[in-house]
Amino acid sequence: MNKYAVEFKGTKEGVTIYCLEDADFAEILSDLAAKLQQRSSFFGDATVSIDVGNRELTDEEREALMETITKNSRLRLKDIFSSQERGPAVTSAKRQGEMEDLALDGFTEGRALVIKRTLRSGQYIRFPGHVIVLGDVNPGAEIAADGDIYVFGTLRGIAHAGMNGDRTASVVALRLAPTQLRIADIISRAPDHADLPDQPEYAYVQDLRIMIAAITAK
Amino acid sequence: MGEVIVITSGKGGVGKTTTTANLGVGLVLAKKKVVLIDADIGLRNLDVVMGLENRIVYDLVDVVEGHCRVKQALIRDKRFENLFLLPAAQTRDKNAVSPEQMKKLSLELKEEYDFILVDCPAGIEQGFRNAIAGADRALIVTTPEVSAVRDADRIIGLLEAAEIKTFHLIINRLRPEMVKRGDMLDIDDILEILAIDLIGVIPDDEKIIISTNRGEQVAANANDSPAGKAYTNIVRRLLGETVPIMDFYQNQSFFSRLKKFIGLGG
Ligand SMILES: Nc1ncnc2c1ncn2[C@@H]1O[C@H](COP(=O)(O)OP(=O)(O)O)[C@@H](O)[C@H]1O
Ligand SMILES: [Mg+2]
Repeated sequence: MNKYAVEFKGTKEGVTIYCLEDADFAEILSDLAAKLQQRSSFFGDATVSIDVGNRELTDEEREALMETITKNSRLRLKDIFSSQERGPAVTSAKRQGEMEDLALDGFTEGRALVIKRTLRSGQYIRFPGHVIVLGDVNPGAEIAADGDIYVFGTLRGIAHAGMNGDRTASVVALRLAPTQLRIADIISRAPDHADLPDQPEYAYVQDLRIMIAAITAK
Repeated sequence: MGEVIVITSGKGGVGKTTTTANLGVGLVLAKKKVVLIDADIGLRNLDVVMGLENRIVYDLVDVVEGHCRVKQALIRDKRFENLFLLPAAQTRDKNAVSPEQMKKLSLELKEEYDFILVDCPAGIEQGFRNAIAGADRALIVTTPEVSAVRDADRIIGLLEAAEIKTFHLIINRLRPEMVKRGDMLDIDDILEILAIDLIGVIPDDEKIIISTNRGEQVAANANDSPAGKAYTNIVRRLLGETVPIMDFYQNQSFFSRLKKFIGLGG
C-alpha cells in the first residue's frame, strides 16, 4: 500500500501537493506520509496547499490530511482545495512511470511528463509540470501544463502552458500551428488561413499578448 | 485460423458498408471463405447492399443470445457460395450485444472461415466498442474531408488504446479533379495528420451507387470500373501482395511522393 498517489510541486509561494486522479484516499495518505518523511528537512517550514482534484472530502478526510502533514513535516498547511473543473488529471500511465519527483535543485523547476506518441483528436493531457511530446499533437487534442510545453512534431491542437497563472511559461514546437494557444490567462487563436511554418518556433507572453518567434541556431 | 477485420470510421456515410461488401466479394474471388457481420444494430443495411434482405430469419442478436446456432443465422450470398452474411438485428438496440459476446463469436467463426469482416456503426459509443472487440485488424475509412479525417483520428486514438495493433487507412470517394483544383484534401495531406499506413484509395465512382442499388458490388467485375479495380487492389494488399496505389493524377511526381508514405518496396 505504498503506491504513487501524490506529487509535489514547489513554487516561490510554497509547495503544492497534488492528489492523483485515480488514487484512492488510503493510498494518498500513505504515499503522502512516506514522501513527507523523505523530504521534510528539504521543505523546512514552507507553506503548503493540497489540491485534491475533483474529490469531495469529508471532514474526517480533511483532518486526516492535516494530521498527516503535521505529524510528518514542519510544513504549514495553508489550504486544501479542489481544482474541480480540470483537476490534476495525471493519468495512470504516469503513475507507473515511477519518475523521481522533485530533484534537489528542481524546487522551482518542477517536473516533466514525456509522451512518446502522437496525441490524437479527443485526447487530453493535464500535468502539473512541463509536458514534452515526442510526436504530433493533432487537431482536437489538448495539452494543459502548469509549466512549458515542448512538441517534437507538429502542434495543431490546443496547448495551454502556465495553466496555474505563470505568464513566463512558453510553448515550443518543431511546427507550431495550433488551433489555439493559451499561456496563463492569455488566449490567442490561429489565423483562419495559416500555412505550416517551416522552422521551429516558440510562443511566449509579452505585454499581455502571445508572441511567436522562430528558433534560430546562432 | 481466420482473421477478423473491423471496418470503421467514426463518421457516418463515408463508405464502411460499401467497403465491407466489396472487400468480402474481392476476398471470395481470391478463393477465401468469408463472413460479413453487420454490427450496425438498429440501422442495418449491409443486407440491403448485398441484396439479401428477404432471406433474413435470424440475426446477430439471436446468435449471441443463443436463440439459434451461428450456422442457422448465416445467409449464403446469391452469387458466391463462400460468402456469408450475419445480419444485424433491426428491432434491438446496440446494448443487446456485449464485447465479450463479440469476442466469443469471432473466435468461433475464425475456426472455419478465412476472413470475418465486421461492418462497424458510426460513432464511438457502445456499438463501436462491440464491433472492435474481437478484431485482429482494423481498416479505417475516411473521405477527403476535414471532418471525416478528424473523426478517423479520434478512432485511431481509441483503437490504439484498445490495443488493436494493426490498422490501415482507406481513403474513399477521392475526386482527383477537385484535388487538382485545390478544392479537396490531397492524399498526403490526410496521411500527414493521421500518420498511419495507407492500404488503398477508392475514387468517387457512380458505378458504386448503380451497383449498390442492384444489390451487387463493383468488386465482382473489377475491370469494369475504377472503384472495382481499387477494391480488388486492397484485397491483394490484404493478402500480402505489393500493389502500387493507382495513379489518379497521371502524374509521375505525385506518384513518387506517395511512395514514401506507403513504403512500397517494389
Ligand atoms: N467510392 C464511392 N463513390 C460513390 N459513392 C460512394 C462511394 N462509396 C460510398 N458511396 C455511397 O455513399 C453512401 C454511404 O456509403 P455507406 O457505405 O453506406 O457508408 P457508411 O456505411 O460508412 O455509413 C452510399 O450511398 C454509397 O453508395
Ligand atoms: Mg453503414
